[in-house]
Amino acid sequence: MFDLEPDDELALVLETARRLAREELVPPMRTHEADRAISPALASSWEEVGLSTLDVPIELDGAGMGCLARVFVNEALAEGDVGAAIALDPYGTALVALLEVGGLEAARTLREATGDGARRALFVDARDALVSEDDAGLTLDVPWVAADEAVALVLLDENGVCLVTEGLAFDSVRGAGIRAAGGGRLRLDGAPVAGRWENAEGAGRARARARLHTASLLLGVLSASCTFSANYAQERQAFGRPIAHHQALAFLITDMRIALDAARLVVHEAAWRVDQRLPCETEAASAFAEVIEVGRTIGPNGVQILGGHGFMADYPVEKHMREARALSLLHGGFDAAIEDAGQALIAQERPLGLGQEGAL
Amino acid sequence: MIDFRIDPEAQARLAEAAEIGLKELRPAGLEADKNMAPIPVGDPFFDRCLERGEGGTSWTGLDGKRARSPRRSVVERLLLSEEQAYWDRGVIIALPGPGLPENNVISMGTDEQKERYLGPFLEPDRPRWACFGMTEPGAGSDAAAIRTTARKDGDGWILNGAKCFIGSASRSDWILVQATLDPTKGRGAQRAFFVEKGTPGLGSFKIEKKMGLKAYESTSFSLDDVRVPAANLLGGEARYESSAGFKTAMRTFNAGRPQIAANAVGMARSALDESIRFAREHDLLGRDRVRDRIEAISRKVRKARLVGLKAGWLADEERPNIIEASMSKALAAQMAQEATTLGLELVGIVGARGDHLIEKLYRDVKAMDIVEGTGQVQRMIVARTLVGLPR
Ligand SMILES: Cc1cc2nc3c(=O)[nH]c(=O)nc-3n(C[C@H](O)[C@H](O)[C@H](O)COP(=O)(O)OP(=O)(O)OC[C@H]3O[C@@H](n4cnc5c(N)ncnc54)[C@H](O)[C@@H]3O)c2cc1C
Repeated sequence: MFDLEPDDELALVLETARRLAREELVPPMRTHEADRAISPALASSWEEVGLSTLDVPIELDGAGMGCLARVFVNEALAEGDVGAAIALDPYGTALVALLEVGGLEAARTLREATGDGARRALFVDARDALVSEDDAGLTLDVPWVAADEAVALVLLDENGVCLVTEGLAFDSVRGAGIRAAGGGRLRLDGAPVAGRWENAEGAGRARARARLHTASLLLGVLSASCTFSANYAQERQAFGRPIAHHQALAFLITDMRIALDAARLVVHEAAWRVDQRLPCETEAASAFAEVIEVGRTIGPNGVQILGGHGFMADYPVEKHMREARALSLLHGGFDAAIEDAGQALIAQERPLGLGQEGAL
Repeated sequence: MIDFRIDPEAQARLAEAAEIGLKELRPAGLEADKNMAPIPVGDPFFDRCLERGEGGTSWTGLDGKRARSPRRSVVERLLLSEEQAYWDRGVIIALPGPGLPENNVISMGTDEQKERYLGPFLEPDRPRWACFGMTEPGAGSDAAAIRTTARKDGDGWILNGAKCFIGSASRSDWILVQATLDPTKGRGAQRAFFVEKGTPGLGSFKIEKKMGLKAYESTSFSLDDVRVPAANLLGGEARYESSAGFKTAMRTFNAGRPQIAANAVGMARSALDESIRFAREHDLLGRDRVRDRIEAISRKVRKARLVGLKAGWLADEERPNIIEASMSKALAAQMAQEATTLGLELVGIVGARGDHLIEKLYRDVKAMDIVEGTGQVQRMIVARTLVGLPR
C-alpha cells in the first residue's frame, strides 16, 4: 500500500549524494562553469563513491538499484550543480537504454566500449537530431549535447537503439548552460554502427527512462532555485520587512514549492513504475511535461525574487533559469512529451481510474 | 519502502464505490442540479443509503465494539473520497451521518456526549444528520472573529448569533455551534456547543441558492437566546484552557483538507473522462488541440492526487502534515477548476447549454477552493512555515 518512505539503502545513498552536492559541487560551481569542465581531482575522487553505477545492473558490476534510486540521486546532485552532475556520470541513460532494448548483452557491449574509467557515453534521442543512414554508415547532426567529447553514442529511435563508437566529432558550442559538462554540436559523417538492437516496446521504456533521467535533473535545478530564492526572500528587506513577508511573494514562494513537490511525486511514481515493470511510458512523458511546465514558472521567478541581483552571475538563480530551460528542450521537449502522453491517453476509456493494475 | 500500489482489498472497495456512484450518486446529483434544490429529507435515496450500511458513525461505541463504518487508513479514505466525488461531490455531502463534527466529538467529547450524540448513528433507525456551524455572515476565513456569543446562565448557556452556509443544518439532529465567551478575546474564548433540533430560539433556517453542489443544503440560521444545558459544552468545562476552544474547530478543518483535495481530484477526473468521451463521440481525437487539453487535464489530476495522498500518508504515519494538507488543498482546488475549464473549452458551445456534465463540474468545483479554508488561507498556512509569514 501507498508508502513514500525510501528504504534504508536508498536513504543512505541519498544522504551521501546530498552531502557531496553541498560540499563538492556547489562551491566550485562557477569555476566549473568557466572552465567548461570539472576539476580532475573531483573526477577521480568521484569514482570511488559509486553513485554513477547506481542503476547499472548487478550483473554488470553496478549497484542494481533501479530507476527510482537514480531519479532521487540525480535530483540531489543536480541541486548542487547539474553540469557537474552530468560530467560525473559516465553513462547518463545510455546504458539503461541499451539494457531496455537489447538486454544485458547490449548493455555489456557499452560497458566494454567505455572501459571501467569515467569515459563518457552519450545518449541521444533521435528526435533531437537530424539522422540519415546509407551504405557508408550513419550521418547525424545534434545541435547540442552537454559534452565536449565521448567514446560512445547510443542513439534511440522509435524502433530501438544503435551504438556508435567511432567517428564522433564535436564542434565546441558555448551552450545555454550546463557548461561544466562541456558543450558541443555532435556530428557523425557516415560512421560505422557498432551494434543495433530493435524492440519497440523496449525503445518506449528506454525513452521513458531517459525522460525521467532528465526530469530528475531538472527537479534538482528547480529545487535549488526554490530554496535559494526562498531563503534570500527571508533576509532581504524592503518596505520595512523581509520581502517574503509581503503576501505577494509569500504566496509566490508557496506556489513554487507546491508545484515542485507535485512534480517530484509525479516523477517518482513514474520511476517506481519503471522498476515494477508496469507500463510507464505515458507516465514518464507526462512527468517530464509536468516538470518542464513547473520550470517555466520557477526558473524566471527564482530570478524575480532576487530582483536585479538575481539577474547577475553573483547569484546562482540566473544559472538555474538558463539550465532548466536547456534541459527542458531535450527528448523533443514539451511538445513531444505531451504528444506521446496525449496519444496514449485517448486510447483509453478511463485513463486515471483508480486501482488499475494494482497501482494508482 | 516506496510503493504506489493500492492493495487488493482497497481496490475491491473502490470498485464497489464506483458501482454505487454510477447507479446512485451520479443520477441523484444530476437530478438535484436540474431541480435546483437539495435532495429532500424523505427521499427514498436516503433509505437506500441506510440499507447499504451508510449513514453511520465510525465511533466504536462506549464498549469499543460496535462500528458501523469501520475506520480505514487515511490514504484509503482519500481514494474513496476521490471515487465518490468522481460520481457526484454534492451528493456525498448530502449523505446522512454525523458529518463534519464527528471527529471533534470522538476526540474531544465526553462519554455522555458521545453516547447521546453519536449513539443514534451506531444503528440509525432513519436517515440522520449532524453538522458543524462555524461560519458567520461577518466571519469566515478569520474564524477567530466570530460574533456568536455564549453567556453562562445558571447551570446552562445562552447562545446568540447567526451562522451561514452550514451544510445540512435544517435537517440535522444537532448542530455543533462555535461561539465565543468574549468577542474581544479571540480564539481562547471560543467554545463549541451541541444545539439540538427544536431548541427554542434556534430558527430562521434559510436554504441558500448556490451556483453548484445543489444536492445538499447550505443553510443560514439564527440563534436567539438559545438555552442549552451545561452538559452541551463540547468536552465539558474542564477541557477548556488557553486556546483549546479554538483548536477544537481548527482540528476539524485540518482533518478535512486532503479530503477536499481528493474530492477536487475526483471531479477533475470526471471532467477528464467526459472530455475523452465527448471527443471520441464527435471524432475529435485526431485534433492536436483536443489531445493537448486531454493531456493537460490528466496531468493535473495525476499530480494533485499524489500530493493529496502524500498528506494522507503522513497522517497515517502520525507525522505532522499541516503544510502538506494545505498544499494539497490549494493545489487540487485550483487544478480541478482549470481541468473543468479546459474540458469546457474542449466541448465548446455545447457547454454553454447548461446541461453538460462538465459544465456542472465547473460550477461544483469552485467551492473546493472556498470551503474549509480558501486557497489564500491555505497559502498563508504554508507560508508561515516556509518563510515565516507573520500571522
Ligand atoms: C458550499 C459551501 C459549503 C459550506 N459549508 C460550511 C459548513 O458546513 N460549515 C461552516 O462552518 N462553513 C461552511 N462554509 C463556509 C466556508 O467555510 C467559508 O465560506 C470560507 O471559510 C470563507 O469564508 P468567507 O466566505 O467569509 O470569505 P472571507 O473570509 O470573507 O474571504 C473573502 C476573500 O478574502 C480572502 N482572504 C481572507 N483573508 C485573507 C488574508 N488574510 N489574506 C489574503 N486573502 C484573504 C479569502 O481567501 C477570500 O478570497 C461553506 C461554504 C460554501 C461555499
